[in-house]
Amino acid sequence: MTAISRSCLAAGCAAAIALSACATVEVNSYRGPRGLDAPSRTYDWGLSAVQPTGDPRLDNNEFFEQHLRAAVERELARRGWRKSDEPAVLVHVHTSVVEDIRFVGVDTAAGVCADCKPEVYDSGTLLIDIVSPDDDRLIWRGWARDNVSNLVDNQKWLDGAVDKAVTRIFAKWPSTF
Amino acid sequence: MVRVPLWTVVAVVMATSGCAAAINVSSHRGPNQDWSGYHTFAWAPADALPTSDPRLDDNLVFTDRMHGTVAAGLADRGWSPASTGASDVLIHYHANVTTRLNVAHIDQAYGSCPGAACPEGFAEYEAGTIVLDFVDARTQRLIWRGWAQTNLDELLSDSDRMARTIKQAVTRMLDSLPAPTPAGRTR
Repeated sequence: MTAISRSCLAAGCAAAIALSACATVEVNSYRGPRGLDAPSRTYDWGLSAVQPTGDPRLDNNEFFEQHLRAAVERELARRGWRKSDEPAVLVHVHTSVVEDIRFVGVDTAAGVCADCKPEVYDSGTLLIDIVSPDDDRLIWRGWARDNVSNLVDNQKWLDGAVDKAVTRIFAKWPSTF
Repeated sequence: MVRVPLWTVVAVVMATSGCAAAINVSSHRGPNQDWSGYHTFAWAPADALPTSDPRLDDNLVFTDRMHGTVAAGLADRGWSPASTGASDVLIHYHANVTTRLNVAHIDQAYGSCPGAACPEGFAEYEAGTIVLDFVDARTQRLIWRGWAQTNLDELLSDSDRMARTIKQAVTRMLDSLPAPTPAGRTR
């Protein structure tokens, strides 16, 4: 196999993995029972304690955190929100990785399980909370969950997955609170 | 051509490698980081995150082994420890042990059933991760993070195997570290 065909194969695999990751991402959101009292479109980052993510490669990982924050700020700016020292809302993000088991080959629509095989994978959840700065009341929560088994080891893939997840979470962003 | 059975090859490889488990190594780094000013290093205090394994908590033998192996690996790559004054880079490592699951054809491994006919089962194992962080001493920003992960498989009970595995893991991690420019030269 030539070097070119090998690199093409690698690129094809990368694209296939990236596409399959897109296909399985689960995104949702919900709004708190009370809306936003001060509807000015200003935010700041909330203080968050250092919490283990469940994956030591991501704990205290500044590169990952900076990329995630930049992606969130980009989506907020697109919606007319700006950062302020006197914010109407605080933004919190949290990442969690847990080991999970699924059965590959299950046809859930038909309820058929032919040649099902168990597979252990890392399920990653990215959570974005919008809270009131006055009383920490949750105003909105959006999250995305996906198989991240092969993502963390590749910084480029991980950054791309974060961008896609944040974009899809913010697609659930309400027009008004 | 003489055909060698696959199991013979596997047995020879396992015997010569001391049944060493595969080590997964990778790293993250900041975009457009200039490494030309980094030549000296010092150790920073460990972080507050738990190891999740009491055998590694306050384990001075493990810490000493890590420090020695990293210092030797860095010396091979042109780095030197900060003898006096401030260092260019602060290094700290974090070790973590997690119990994980693996899908395994357990009966196949013992030869009691052939190939795909073997039922699949779950086997628990201890996954060990060593994270090595390089922090710019002046800005206190992370400039590089490397990690190595492997199946511990009683590794912590065998100091010789532990030493060999740490050396292999650290060497492979440092292989992905950008080389410092020798002092007095520019890139």
